[in-house]
Amino acid sequence: MKTIFPVDFQRMSVHKDSQAMLRRASEEGIETVWDRLAKQEPQCGYCSLGLSCRNCAMGPCRVDPFGDGPQKGVCGADADVIVARNLGRAIAAGASAHSDHGRDILEVFHATAAGETTGYQIADEGKLKAIAADYGVELEDRSTREVALEVAEAIMEDYGTRKGSLGFLKRVPAKRLAVWQKLDILPRGIDRENVEMLHRTHMGVDNDYVNILLHCLRTSLSDGWGGSMVATELSDVMFGTPKPVSSEMNLGVLKADEVNIALHGHNPVLSDVIVQASQDPELLNLAKEQGAAGINLVGLCCTGNELLMRRGIPMAGNHLIQELVIMTGALDAMVVDYQCIMPSVTDVAKCFHTAVISTFDKAKFPGAIHITFDPHRGIEIGKEIVRRAVQAYAGRVADKVYIPGEPIPMMAGFSVEAIVEALGGSPEPLLAAIKDGKIRGAVGVVGCNNPKIKQDFGHVQLCRRLIENDILVVVTGCAAVANGKAGQMRPEAADMAGPGLAGICKALGIPPVLHMGSCVDNTRILVLAAALANQLDVDISQLPLAAAAPEWYSEKAAAIGTYAVASGIYTVLGVQPPIFGSKNVVQLLAEGLEDVVGATFAIEPDAERAASLIRRHIEVKRRELGLPYHDPQTIPLPERGREKSPAVA
Amino acid sequence: MKTVFVNPERCLGCHQCEIACAVAHSSSKEVSLALWEEPLPRRRIHVEPGPTYNTSFANKCRHCNPAPCEQVCPTGAIHRQQDHDLVLITATKCIACAMCAMVCPFDVLTYYPVAETGPQRVVAVKCDGCVDRLSRGDIPACVEACKAEALVFGELNELLKAGRLRESYAVVAATTMMEGQAPAVPETVHAWRAWGASAEEATQGGGER
Ligand code: SF4
Ligand code: SF4
Ligand code: SF4
Ligand code: SF4
Repeated sequence: MKTIFPVDFQRMSVHKDSQAMLRRASEEGIETVWDRLAKQEPQCGYCSLGLSCRNCAMGPCRVDPFGDGPQKGVCGADADVIVARNLGRAIAAGASAHSDHGRDILEVFHATAAGETTGYQIADEGKLKAIAADYGVELEDRSTREVALEVAEAIMEDYGTRKGSLGFLKRVPAKRLAVWQKLDILPRGIDRENVEMLHRTHMGVDNDYVNILLHCLRTSLSDGWGGSMVATELSDVMFGTPKPVSSEMNLGVLKADEVNIALHGHNPVLSDVIVQASQDPELLNLAKEQGAAGINLVGLCCTGNELLMRRGIPMAGNHLIQELVIMTGALDAMVVDYQCIMPSVTDVAKCFHTAVISTFDKAKFPGAIHITFDPHRGIEIGKEIVRRAVQAYAGRVADKVYIPGEPIPMMAGFSVEAIVEALGGSPEPLLAAIKDGKIRGAVGVVGCNNPKIKQDFGHVQLCRRLIENDILVVVTGCAAVANGKAGQMRPEAADMAGPGLAGICKALGIPPVLHMGSCVDNTRILVLAAALANQLDVDISQLPLAAAAPEWYSEKAAAIGTYAVASGIYTVLGVQPPIFGSKNVVQLLAEGLEDVVGATFAIEPDAERAASLIRRHIEVKRRELGLPYHDPQTIPLPERGREKSPAVA
Repeated sequence: MKTVFVNPERCLGCHQCEIACAVAHSSSKEVSLALWEEPLPRRRIHVEPGPTYNTSFANKCRHCNPAPCEQVCPTGAIHRQQDHDLVLITATKCIACAMCAMVCPFDVLTYYPVAETGPQRVVAVKCDGCVDRLSRGDIPACVEACKAEALVFGELNELLKAGRLRESYAVVAATTMMEGQAPAVPETVHAWRAWGASAEEATQGGGER
């Protein structure tokens, strides 16, 4: 698609590798997500205000935000109800995505415990025992397999409603549990809350926006302390709990002389066996016969994060790189599982020799080769996929290969267990540093890319400002990749941090921005927050913590943001959710929740202002805890429309 | 003279007017059937994005008088319809030379096949003021579809008076500190657009690494 206007690639992404590929896309007329966004603009205001409803066939309806046109849907729903219902459905969709991912892992875990799989094992017995304790499963005189089977069955019950509350709630600080009990939002079943949300938002069920919003909280909690946590914990059991590991990031991790396979999506169950298959001598030989020096695996999105965390597999990039990586002409296969995989990847792949291989029956892509994942034949399927990739290498056109730039070194693998070990076996040193003010607090910066925000600008700038001000940053998902590519996840990045944080990072040999995993692994942040709260015997909402999702786009992120707030963590969103059509909903989320769950949402696309909001919040929490604090009002909140501060280098 | 007046600050970018316009110019006049017609009916109003997210303007023929397009058309395909004071194109006379498009101050002309001339050639297509609907006593389709009153139909002077009234309420309220009438843009829409402006601003900064 040629455009008559000069395209400003620097406005689209902060990264040179992205910019180089965007130039190539524009020269070769290959459409990208940025082009499609431009074609969608202006986007519908009713929908982006949350004021349109398609929930029934008396509709579709829309409420005029100017007040002159219709103020109610055909059924009588007003702006508050329509906005709340739409938000509720988005959260239920996001929570369902995480929880279904968790169930897929649970099923493989169950089959593995029953000895029915190939390519899987119980890699971390310690973790299995810890989960068994949460679920009250006896350990005495029993084999690992028996314990695993019973744990699997106990977790399966969490998906339904047999027990009335989730096993992992044992990890929630007592004060937080009391808050949820009082509000009657204790999550009762992982699937149940999602189904109930769909029920409540059916026409004529829950017609009270406050009541719907409370169920939004409960639904998100069934994800954070349920489905997502199941995914994280059982992945650790089967594939190993992450430990600090060095790796590299950006498109430079592709190798011109090797078979390049990108593993894209979210679920590690398949990609982990592909890692094993890629080391198979027979397949390596086949690659050599084709003239390739080896088989090179690279990660994309959260499947990539899972492999990076546990295996040190390098990352090609995050969400907005998925089309661009194909344009290097050096990608022989993109293996996809599910979530965040743009339908457009098969279109871009048509312009090159890249084979797109889909693997889950619930996620098919016209134009892709489909190889059904089956854990019972895990390793065989892994080999079949790698073989296809090696065969695709034969079609590579050397002239078309263009791998921009050198990879950036970085460090990943900071599970809670790894952080505690780096601290010498207990969270106490971290707490001590927070107490004396060397570290002001900690912030989880998470979430996606969204072409409405310059790629990774929000993530990188915000994290940089936080670490400069002695705030420890933990990252997951696309936010993690953004920081890695920007060099903020090397141990030497400690030099970018304020003096307090820098000193501690240097003493421990860790970066100031810690990679905690994929998006489902945001539960690691919950576990860490709960552990800190328990150590101090306070509620999570009393801690000097915050969260941010500067460039989020997905319904899953809406669920994550909501479980963070419901768990007591102040959360700043960079992209506005479709709620502005209801002042009441906005007020409740941005202010009202403070008295209810002790935390609120804020919306701020400007990273400098977001950093100030978070710093002020952390100092308020420090003051309330009786710790040394700076007067929050002395932290300047940059004006809108000011002279631009330069990007962090 | 009755006209379609555009209030850009009220436009939500929903494209409902575009859909309604295309359907009003289809043979079937039914949205579900219109999509199967050959040639496809086309919109004559174009909702284009503004400089920041969440802003847009619905652009259409202004039926100028004198009309530059009419003045330059070499074949006399463009004429003024007196009853409703509209500038109309006779498709069968159009040779698709694009002279009208070059001089139109609003760039509202498009070129597509239309039912009158068949699918083989393209002709100039633009707003016809919904002349058929007006003769039946209906209002233009785009105005009917717009639920935000970004498009309003009426006597130009009366529409302008309504705007002046809003203005004077606001000025008087501001100068006398009285409670004003509803502002032109409610808080909800204002906050929605403010995000667009600051996202745009945030994107300006930075540069590359
Ligand atoms: S549920 Fe109500 S508001 Fe929604 S489409 Fe049906 S009638 Fe309209
Ligand atoms: S394109 Fe058609 S209507 Fe326009 S000036 Fe040429 S002949 Fe006339
Ligand atoms: S007045 Fe009629 S023809 Fe003109 S833009 Fe509106 S709907 Fe289309
Ligand atoms: S229908 Fe109204 S609000 Fe919607 S795009 Fe058209 S002019 Fe704008």
